Amino acid sequence: MPPKVAKGEYIETDTGNKISRRSQIHGTQHIILGGKTVIQAEAVIRGDLYRSSTSSSSTSSEGTPGSPSVAITIGRYSYISKQAVLRPPSRLHRGVHSFYPLKIGDHVFVGERAVVEAASVGNHVHVGKDAVIGSMAILKDFAYVLDGAVVAPGMVVPSWCVVGGAPARIVGEVGEGYGVEGAEGGLARERYRVVGR
Amino acid sequence: MSRPFPYAYISCPCADTPVPDPGRKRRSRDPSHKSDSTAPVPQNYDFEDERTFDPRSPRSNFSLYPPEQLLYCEDCHQIKCPRCITEEIVCWYCPNCLFETPSSMVRSEGNRCARNCFNCPSCTAPLAVTTLENVTGGGSQQGPWVLSCGYCMWTTLDIGIKFDKPTNIRTQLSKMTDTSRGRQMSKTFSDLKSPLSTYSSIDEQFSSGVDNRGDTSSPTNETSGPLNPEARFQALKNFYKNQIAATSSSSSDPLTDFGGGISSPGALNRIMSLYTSSSRLSSLYGGATKKPKSKPPVMREALTASEGLKVPPPDAETALIQRMASDDCGWDGMASIDQRCFQSPDARFVEDLLPLPVLLRTKRSKRCKSCKHILVKPEFKPQSTRFRIRLIALSYIPLPTLKPLIPSPYAGLPTVSPAISSTIAPNLDALSPLKTVQLLLTLKNHMFDPVRVTLATPSVTPGRVASKVTILCPQFDIGANSDVWDEALQNSTAPGSTDQRGSRSGTLGSSEKVAEAGKVWDKGRNWTTVALEVVPGTLPGGSTTTTAATTKTRKPAAPDSDDSDDDFGFDQNTASLDWSGQSKDPNLLPLQPDEDVLEIPVFVRLEWDSENQIDQEQSVGRQTSDTVKRELAYWMVLGVGRISPEVL
Repeated sequence: MPPKVAKGEYIETDTGNKISRRSQIHGTQHIILGGKTVIQAEAVIRGDLYRSSTSSSSTSSEGTPGSPSVAITIGRYSYISKQAVLRPPSRLHRGVHSFYPLKIGDHVFVGERAVVEAASVGNHVHVGKDAVIGSMAILKDFAYVLDGAVVAPGMVVPSWCVVGGAPARIVGEVGEGYGVEGAEGGLARERYRVVGR
Repeated sequence: MSRPFPYAYISCPCADTPVPDPGRKRRSRDPSHKSDSTAPVPQNYDFEDERTFDPRSPRSNFSLYPPEQLLYCEDCHQIKCPRCITEEIVCWYCPNCLFETPSSMVRSEGNRCARNCFNCPSCTAPLAVTTLENVTGGGSQQGPWVLSCGYCMWTTLDIGIKFDKPTNIRTQLSKMTDTSRGRQMSKTFSDLKSPLSTYSSIDEQFSSGVDNRGDTSSPTNETSGPLNPEARFQALKNFYKNQIAATSSSSSDPLTDFGGGISSPGALNRIMSLYTSSSRLSSLYGGATKKPKSKPPVMREALTASEGLKVPPPDAETALIQRMASDDCGWDGMASIDQRCFQSPDARFVEDLLPLPVLLRTKRSKRCKSCKHILVKPEFKPQSTRFRIRLIALSYIPLPTLKPLIPSPYAGLPTVSPAISSTIAPNLDALSPLKTVQLLLTLKNHMFDPVRVTLATPSVTPGRVASKVTILCPQFDIGANSDVWDEALQNSTAPGSTDQRGSRSGTLGSSEKVAEAGKVWDKGRNWTTVALEVVPGTLPGGSTTTTAATTKTRKPAAPDSDDSDDDFGFDQNTASLDWSGQSKDPNLLPLQPDEDVLEIPVFVRLEWDSENQIDQEQSVGRQTSDTVKRELAYWMVLGVGRISPEVL
């Protein structure tokens, strides 16, 4: 692979992330990209909305004090389309409004203009364009969110399920072959490869 | 879920069950019938294999599947679509809490989550258990709890329900709905389960000592108020069960045991007696001869509240109407039809809406319908995404992917004027008619044997919008899906494969490569790409010259069948538009929905030598030493794009 020209559209990191120069990433020190992640132009990633250490004294799952708390984790070969928004979920817990980490797995596709506030997004999840994933929702592996769906806050989408509508309901299941490399749900590597060419 | 262009669907051969021949002629005369029968009638040659698959035929809807939804039966050597399988439930789980519910519990308690999972009765989003008191510190969260919807902000406070503790909400709720609606707390299901068929005088003549212990409980039950809906349903169910038991046991017909589980034994008795009285078998049964004289027993309806009867108070209707008309109810106070679908039949107002326990979902294993071979067996645990057995079609048939070939600035084809051909990818949602589009079809083999592929397509797509299609290399081989390590080693030792890969992806950007007839476009370890040339046809609203031309081209391909000539003329019209039978001139009809979608039927034939397994005698071809020649053929539909109405 030839080295990137300095003024390309994408910044390519050591681990192969391709990040558009026109994306808006806040709080980079609170974001972990697993490598080979694509972040398209005008995508907004709110790493600045991390959990402040003062409020997390009681139930801190991650962490030794001092290390920066992680706001957003994104796995390998995930793809954040244009104008998508990733925001860590938040919750009013004991009167304190606090943020929780947003974990996104591998081979995840987030469509254009989608807003994701999920607590966790599994592997091979497809989030359609214009979809909204409410706060603290959980999308399990191979979940499929149709375009324009509004997944209610706190909803759990089981594996292999297709959800759509507002509020989203389970409307079907994807086939057993979903996620096979190269087929529907398994196009993440291909998607990654063509970016920036 | 319609797919964005371009897509590839595969047709399951199960839809090709041959239609009985006698009906064919009549159907071809009657266009209204033809739309729901075999669509490719005009191409109906003498043998079935020669038919062209019409992706626009209504039948095709039921046979086309995205490749990842198809399974493959190793015994039948056939693609299996969701119609050719049977399903068995592996486990029940709640989609919200993902806990498994034992099937015995599903049978007794119903298929709803028994934990804290509820859906909003107003908008169906999941409800969350939240506390009312926002205690800032301390952990003294003893406040009352409610279920609240994060989507529409509905809470159980809207119907005046609070919970004492955040666990076991379902039982708390069922208790509350019983009491808060003025129902008798003492009345539980177990009380109601006692069969209560012996109160009235009508019952006396039927009861053959089925149950007499109901007498003891009858005074309390008679005085009790109306039951809640679930209890009433149970009571009615028990009542009818006893009615059936009582009526059938009192009659002397020996055949009533057939009707034991059926709600209307009298009717069945009459039917069965037709056979017994007229047949010689009737003499075998002693009572059968005098049975027709005895009147069929009468089933009565529920008479008391304890039997499930509910008599609404006389002014209930007017009270309801007055409440609807009152100012404090209004339109917003009424429950919508959608909301009422999931509620008890009495729920009319939003105050009547109760949280809905989440319906359970299932994990299912799948079997081949014809040979009962198991095709898919998921892990039992609800959370697991693994499969113990998963015979998906993608492991056996090559995975088709279609891509537009970005035209290079050369003026290679005479039809493409240099002005139009640009380096921009063609807009698949608005293909301009009569402008050649080149596409790359990649077939990727997932089998461990190399496959020889033959593609065939009608030169003109079926339907009114006739697009010309040419597969530049219809016969090619795909390599075996060898070990990934082989590829890795190849990559390290021989740079050729990496180069190929690079060149392929390079061609996506700007190609100097020219698609040549008879040559594959590109080839990799287990995939081969061939080029397709498509000339999209014009839509019927446009110029009629092209459609006339296509009818000319179609005519030689038409069957010299024994159908009369006017039949044939009709066929042409109706084959191209399936649902609008009686038209005379197809060109004058407005465009049907999705008729402008350019879909190419492609017949795929695969041949490969597979290792002989023990039990495969039905395999095609002769057996060489220990390999078996196999072949598989199916139709595939490539969705290229949508043709725009304007001719550029």
